[in-house]
Amino acid sequence: MENSVVIEIKNLTKIFGGLCAVSDFSGNLCENQIIGIIGPNGAGKTTIMNMVSGIIQPTSGSVVFKGQDISRLEPEKINHQGIARTFQNIRLFQDMTVLQTVMTAYSWRAPYNVLETLLSLPRVGKFEKEIREKSMCWIEKVGLTEQANLTAQSLPYGMQRRVEIARALASEPCVLLLDEPGAGLNQSEVCDLVDLIQGLHEELSLAIMLIDHRMDVIMRLCKWIYVQDFGKGIAQGTPEQIQKDPVVIKAYLGEEITNA
Amino acid sequence: MQSAMIFQQVINGLSLGAVYALIAVGFAMIFNVLKFSNFAHGGVLGISAYAGFIAATTFKLPLVGVILVGILAGAITAVIVEFVAFRWIRLQKGQLIYFFVTSVTMLMLLEQILIISFGASFESFPYTLLKVKAIKLSNLTISVTSLLTLVVTIIAFGILIYVLKKTKVGIAIRAASNDLVATSLMGINVDFVVISAFVISGMLGGLSGVLYGISASLSPQIGEIVVKGFIASVLGGLGSLTGVAIAAVALGLVEVFLISTIGSGLSPVVIFVIMIVFLLVRPQGFAGVSFADKA
Amino acid sequence: MTFYLTVSLAIAVSSIAVLGTFMLTGMNGLFSLGQAAFMGLGAYVSAICVVNYGLPLPVAILISIGITIVLAAFVGLATLKIRQDFFALVTFGFGQAVIGLLTQMVNVTGGAMGFSNIPEYTTPALAFISLAVAIVFVWGLRKSHFGRDSLAIRSNELAAKVAGINVFKHKMIIFIISAVFAAYAGALMAFHTQYVEPAMYGWITSVTWIIIVFFGGRDSLTGTVIGALVLLAMPEVLRFTAAWSTLIYCVIILLIINLRPRGLFGTWELTLRSLTRLFKPKKAVEEVK
Repeated sequence: MENSVVIEIKNLTKIFGGLCAVSDFSGNLCENQIIGIIGPNGAGKTTIMNMVSGIIQPTSGSVVFKGQDISRLEPEKINHQGIARTFQNIRLFQDMTVLQTVMTAYSWRAPYNVLETLLSLPRVGKFEKEIREKSMCWIEKVGLTEQANLTAQSLPYGMQRRVEIARALASEPCVLLLDEPGAGLNQSEVCDLVDLIQGLHEELSLAIMLIDHRMDVIMRLCKWIYVQDFGKGIAQGTPEQIQKDPVVIKAYLGEEITNA
Repeated sequence: MQSAMIFQQVINGLSLGAVYALIAVGFAMIFNVLKFSNFAHGGVLGISAYAGFIAATTFKLPLVGVILVGILAGAITAVIVEFVAFRWIRLQKGQLIYFFVTSVTMLMLLEQILIISFGASFESFPYTLLKVKAIKLSNLTISVTSLLTLVVTIIAFGILIYVLKKTKVGIAIRAASNDLVATSLMGINVDFVVISAFVISGMLGGLSGVLYGISASLSPQIGEIVVKGFIASVLGGLGSLTGVAIAAVALGLVEVFLISTIGSGLSPVVIFVIMIVFLLVRPQGFAGVSFADKA
Repeated sequence: MTFYLTVSLAIAVSSIAVLGTFMLTGMNGLFSLGQAAFMGLGAYVSAICVVNYGLPLPVAILISIGITIVLAAFVGLATLKIRQDFFALVTFGFGQAVIGLLTQMVNVTGGAMGFSNIPEYTTPALAFISLAVAIVFVWGLRKSHFGRDSLAIRSNELAAKVAGINVFKHKMIIFIISAVFAAYAGALMAFHTQYVEPAMYGWITSVTWIIIVFFGGRDSLTGTVIGALVLLAMPEVLRFTAAWSTLIYCVIILLIINLRPRGLFGTWELTLRSLTRLFKPKKAVEEVK
């Protein structure tokens, strides 16, 4: 049952000017595990994910990935190590098709330099063909085969989310960070999304760190949950434990209901 | 003798800095409200300077009239620029780069208009504009144009501070600088705020153009000193009008001393280096706020 | 050389520089006001090598390109991490600094009076073949992941980073390549016009190139090339002065950005497929019948 720890977060803190966005967060993500970080808006969840993915530097504390301290690495280097992520506010590339968007995740693996592309050497065409096929596989996995050559931005919101997931998968990561993947989706879309994430987790043996504030998503997917409020960790445990934890309920729903 | 020269240089530097401060604040105001760099401000400057020149030479207006013409020309030109170059992009919510293209294009356009109308050479404001050329105090010669620039600038900033703090327009502009969307949600007409900002910015630009034309030099390329305003905005920290003004004055002083020591050919190089160092070491400037993307 | 050949040659050479701006500003969204300074660098260094030091043309050009690469690397290192507005300002400052230096070093460069007596080494063949090769280079770049990465970085830099793209390295490469294009064009032009002066390489020239790119459409290589040919030929054909043609460029681009921001050609490219598609509709109609 003991899976090895893939990401170890220790005392992660981020202070912006006078505001302490994240205070002393510690947590682990094990191989083949889905963990969740939940909390009301402003709790610092996205900031934690930003620090893990290298977009922000922590004020103090560390993030260790497979034994290596990645706290100060650039985002692209972290991606090369094997961590990919999606964004709460979908960040797609304007005017690019779904296929092109997913293919960007393979660019860094190009086995040639710029001079060779200037000369259009055959190696370039070969690589392009390979990554196009691989990207199509990921697009099929998220169920967007028919939309592959459409502009990503012209798609409905739910599909755009899946494009982002396909792009993250194309990095061929071992860890996937999902930032509020269900945001903006209706109930049935959320169900489909949860099925998708569950399926990917099982098929690809991905370790997943999930942020959301929708209980149905978190409860169904996560084995272990960290609860944040105003930057501080207020609870952690299995979904069942969290659901019953009075501290958590108070943070989400307020005092009156606990006392009622 | 040394201290007299230094004192004169300081006055010149402060006067130049005052003009830069007017430019920088006008520039920064548009940046704060619309979040892009309005290079066209230089064009506004240039047109106003020449408008003042025509007022002084063809219409033989007195000094006060010349300055007022400059201010009015600045306001009008700025509004025209907004309509022609920025309005459409703003309404279509176009990407930032289109603003860059049109704002630089407007700067170029207005400069070419001046070149075609007036020829590429330098002009000077009529000698009779100022009754007194220089004031002599013991062994100091203070140029009246420098003093004029300083005094007028101080008055202008005084008025500006009053407008920004006490009038509805000013408060709306300050709110919009903070958050344009929230301001519009509060029921304030965004168009009104934008045009007002351009009018005020244009007036500042027009004033700076006329003052620079009178105290320094006048040529179709006068608009290019908007870059100095931009530099001051960077050094002072975009977002803080006071910081910008102070940085501009400092820039004027530094430039005057650089020119007197290493000459006007190499001073752009030194200023460039200073700028780069600043941008790498402290990109938010002295007093500014850093602009970070929300991930 | 006939008048038309001379003009065509000059247009072809300038188009090479425009291609540099196409890569830098069009594809990557890096708004540089100092590109023309690199053209000046290429012109002066190669001219000085040949006239003052008697070096053969290819060596002179190689030296000027080498120096350009080094300088572009330095400037890129200092400026590419800065936000867009400041990047424009800093590249403007860089351009002014280069012109200032060229004007100042009177003994070597002739200062504001310019550098003359440059031999006419640029043949029409050299110019046109260079342009063709340049177009092929840019085409290859766009087709590869470099083109995609450029679009990605331009659209959403943060997302590009987390997708594994080394944004800074990419920008540096593009910046240096664009500088080399401009420098090479500068060298060819110097040995064609046989006279150079610092004022030719100011921000107005840089902005003119940007206008040409956005006129044709920053997403269309064909558009940029055709746009360059059209806009650069216009002052010659219509006999405008420099000031008037610049003014007309300004008016044109203001119209384009207000009415058709994607440029005349939008994203249309001249390929075998797009040409057949132009003729296809007629075929489809016949088939339906």
